[in-house]
Amino acid sequence: MLHSKIIDTKREKIDISKAELFIKSSSYGASIFFTGTVRNINENKEVTGMTYDSHDELVLKSFEEIYRETSDKLKIIDKAVFIEHIKGYVELGEISIVIAVACKHRDQAYVLSRYIIEEIKKRSPIWKKEHYKNKQSEWLKGNTININ
Amino acid sequence: MKIKLELFGASRDFSNKDFLEFNIKDKIEIKDFRKEIINYLAKNFKDNENFKKIVKASVFCSEDNTIVGDNYKISKDQKIGIIPPIGGG
Repeated sequence: MLHSKIIDTKREKIDISKAELFIKSSSYGASIFFTGTVRNINENKEVTGMTYDSHDELVLKSFEEIYRETSDKLKIIDKAVFIEHIKGYVELGEISIVIAVACKHRDQAYVLSRYIIEEIKKRSPIWKKEHYKNKQSEWLKGNTININ
Repeated sequence: MKIKLELFGASRDFSNKDFLEFNIKDKIEIKDFRKEIINYLAKNFKDNENFKKIVKASVFCSEDNTIVGDNYKISKDQKIGIIPPIGGG
């Protein structure tokens, strides 16, 4: 089972208790919660916040594809996956992404969680604009999506 | 033919709006549409090299939310999304 959503910070925030409820409802024994937060220093620059942009439809499509791949490539069939990603402005220390997974066994849960975040980094059209103390904000350099 | 180029990420700096509009005479492939965008930016942003780099490194997304390659042909009025290099999570 998969839950995926883009959270627009103008309307709501990521609430990790929703991930906990979702995972609990799956009744699998091994679960992992991964969260990403905005860090205070990047490349020696003092960060004050981050604006996330996303192509919502493509991002949700990529989450579904990644989820399906974990059955085909990783052979992890029995699982619960909860993915929410921010869109909009977030302050320092706030959560930008939560990936919660549950499986029958811990080995699978670790592999599944890692696979999902790494694939999102490579494939999901999400962009970050970093805001600094006493400096102009900048879009962070990223990686071109591989279309093959 | 009108192509509405929807802007995302770093390409949002190309306009105060969320999109750019192009009037193209005939059917056009993505690889040539990319050149049209670069020409537009050269005219309007005094050959901003960073903007050109963004376009060259971008992929594009069709109206039905599919990432399309350089040979994809645009043959009618439609929206196309520009997808600059990504880095979320």
